[in-house]
Amino acid sequence: MTKQDIVQLLKAQLGKGYIKHSEPIPGQVWVEIRPEASVPAAELLHRRTSARYLVSVGSDERELKDRFGVYHLFSFDKQHFFVTLDVSADARKPRLPSITPVIAGANWSEREIRDLLGVEFDGHPDPRRLVLSDDWPQGVHPLRRDFDYSAKPPARPENAYPFKDNPPGTTVVAMGPYFPVFEEATYFRLYVEGEKVVDVDYRGFYAHRGIEKLGDAKLTYNQVPFIAERICGICGFVHNVSFCKLVEHASGIAVPRRADYIRVIMLELERIHSHALWLGVAGHIIGFDTVLMQTWRMREPIMWLCEKITGNRKTYGMNLIGGVRRDIPKSLVPEIRKKVQAMDKEWRAVLDAVKNDTTLRMRLEKVGILTKDQSHEWAAVGPVARAADLDMDARKDHPYCSYDAIDFKVITADSNDVWGRTIVRILETIESFKIVYQSLDALMELPEGDIITEIRDEIPGGRIAISAVEAPRGEDVHFLLTGGDNRPYRWRVRCPTYPNLPTVQVMVKGEQVADVPIILGSIDPCFSCTERMEVCDVGTGKVRIYSQEELFNWTAKSR
Amino acid sequence: MFRIVATIGILLFLSPLIEGILRKFKALVHSRIGPPLLQPYWDILKLLGKDDVRSPHALLGPLPSWLALAALLAAGLLVPLGTASAFAGGDLFLFLYLVGFASVCTMLAGMDSGSPYAFLGAGREMMTSFVVEPVLFVALITAALKSHSFRFADMAFFQQVSGTSVSMVISGAALLLAIQAQLSKLPFDIPEAEGELMGGVFAEMSGPTFAMYRWGFIVKQVVFALVLTQIFFPWPLGLTGLWAVIAQIVKVLLVAVAVGLVDAVNPRLRIDQAVVYYFGVVLMALVGLVFALVGA
Repeated sequence: MTKQDIVQLLKAQLGKGYIKHSEPIPGQVWVEIRPEASVPAAELLHRRTSARYLVSVGSDERELKDRFGVYHLFSFDKQHFFVTLDVSADARKPRLPSITPVIAGANWSEREIRDLLGVEFDGHPDPRRLVLSDDWPQGVHPLRRDFDYSAKPPARPENAYPFKDNPPGTTVVAMGPYFPVFEEATYFRLYVEGEKVVDVDYRGFYAHRGIEKLGDAKLTYNQVPFIAERICGICGFVHNVSFCKLVEHASGIAVPRRADYIRVIMLELERIHSHALWLGVAGHIIGFDTVLMQTWRMREPIMWLCEKITGNRKTYGMNLIGGVRRDIPKSLVPEIRKKVQAMDKEWRAVLDAVKNDTTLRMRLEKVGILTKDQSHEWAAVGPVARAADLDMDARKDHPYCSYDAIDFKVITADSNDVWGRTIVRILETIESFKIVYQSLDALMELPEGDIITEIRDEIPGGRIAISAVEAPRGEDVHFLLTGGDNRPYRWRVRCPTYPNLPTVQVMVKGEQVADVPIILGSIDPCFSCTERMEVCDVGTGKVRIYSQEELFNWTAKSR
Repeated sequence: MFRIVATIGILLFLSPLIEGILRKFKALVHSRIGPPLLQPYWDILKLLGKDDVRSPHALLGPLPSWLALAALLAAGLLVPLGTASAFAGGDLFLFLYLVGFASVCTMLAGMDSGSPYAFLGAGREMMTSFVVEPVLFVALITAALKSHSFRFADMAFFQQVSGTSVSMVISGAALLLAIQAQLSKLPFDIPEAEGELMGGVFAEMSGPTFAMYRWGFIVKQVVFALVLTQIFFPWPLGLTGLWAVIAQIVKVLLVAVAVGLVDAVNPRLRIDQAVVYYFGVVLMALVGLVFALVGA
């Protein structure tokens, strides 16, 4: 199906519901529809075409067009384009029909839009709070343009979160908000009968940092990449590249080829160390600490390599809109190649060891099943979807940087289980080694120094763009509506954990309590990457937050 | 009397060293430096000095923890250390009761704490006991049949006197497999399962109460290694005096290292998988018993 076919199909099926379509950026089709057509249109794309639902974005456009804009984003992977359904909600009484009944994966997006912008969705099956904290007052929507980014509304503790009732005969086993095997705050409330999980409820977003609001209200285009990188402590560079790509798309900036290759090298080094980290954590979750210790030992030289290239072992600060800040000199290339080859060799030994470990297979096989259909329904991404035999990878489907010139395979598995996700990640890492070698070859050929395109013109307002970058955890989607004041009007980040986390609720039902941590681990969750130390004096109620420097000094002392 | 005091002293104050060596060994497999050799002593000391914070639902208090340690020490008295048992009067049934009593104490304390994690952990401990205790029982009965005595002292010296047999080898192997679960080591640390149960039965324990359980656990490790080596693997034969003690220590270390190695290279099994596995081990022990009955 081509773009024209999709537009024709929507036109024919929606009748009066269809308003108009446009393609401001090649490969990104915008279809404006009436609110009452949003459910039929979503259903049509989701069930009758090869479209994959990405996310829904809400935007307060009362100043621009006297409306709240809601965008439902879809990707046509094999045809390499995006289709967005653009729906308007009334500026004074924003109400829209919910598309969650036809696409389960829209559940969180719509709840988030309701929390942050106050757009109600009629017919939503689970209209509880998602993002806002329990003590946030009703009717205050922090992502509206008239809400100041630093405002603190008075706490209203009466809005406690209503959890599901216990199914009869079950007891509650709480996993979270803080739990030994999860680094970050998330709460899975398990309803168990003996060892069996009968039902599950979720509450999360405990550490929502409001980064999108900062991007829309406080930072400029040149500052956002550095904040975007801090969205995740492991795959931060992905967010950085996603944002830079957005602005480059929207304003038509061409990036030098050498910068493209440098970005690819950093993205793949990030995937290598992220997958090594994941395998170690997965081993730790099921008590296999030898895997943790050994994979993290292998990972360390890669971290040092990143430090040598960028100045930081993580959160590189390498990207700017239009290119990268630091070149990789040709003299450094042999060392990079050597270090990566060393890890490559050890990693293949890991693959053999894991493949032949029968006890490990007993724990991972046929656990946490998510079928191809369920995966599509919940819009799962990354290794979770690829282990359900869905061939999708933003590097191939929506090529960015220099991936179009690089030869690599998309790894899939058809076992739908934790084992499949493990093998996909291990094999994917081997593909990453190959990508790094090819990019290093390219660096040797391209002239040094040509790494950034200077931007002379102002970036105009009112432009819209989507970018998708394949993070280690899955596809990372960013959405941008440019503003006139040198900053985004609306910037939306959909990290890969966002669609994957709800699938955990599907996967754990009927499994045993012992399998829940590894099932959650198998999506490689990343909730906020926030770690800080807060000491609360119970007597006086005084809270003190320790700075990075203080914590660092403590570590230095104990060495 | 001296023997009894000495045995208790050795079990209490030398076992943590074995644990320390075990931790170093595990660190070696992990490519880590590992904690200092004496860390288990500091751990126990530190716990003993802490407040005993208990769940408000708990009725039992610290008593079960002391009883568990005492029962394990008493069980240790029955097992020959060096060349003779400290307490010659006890037989294998007393030993089984004492060991069983210790694990019942742990389970009770877990259930008593009112924590759902501890409750699940206690349930798992019970399921493990149902399949693992029979292995111990059948293996010891086999040894008793062969030596025509229920006393540990007689069982221990039987192979020294009349040589080995098929039944003893099979039972010894079955017991070796069961020790992994008896000691809650991976892949069978299911009742504690840090990953999903945060320590299971011990989730609510702290301070001196927890110290008693940890200490009891460390003693149990040595007692089981002693049972295995003294009764089923008594080689090299004919050592006396200091040499016997040295051989004993080396053998206990070997068992500890074997258990530690399995612990380091396996993930945790689920309780259902572990039960199926141990049915096999029970069958194996029963085969040993059948051999003993037909005189092999």
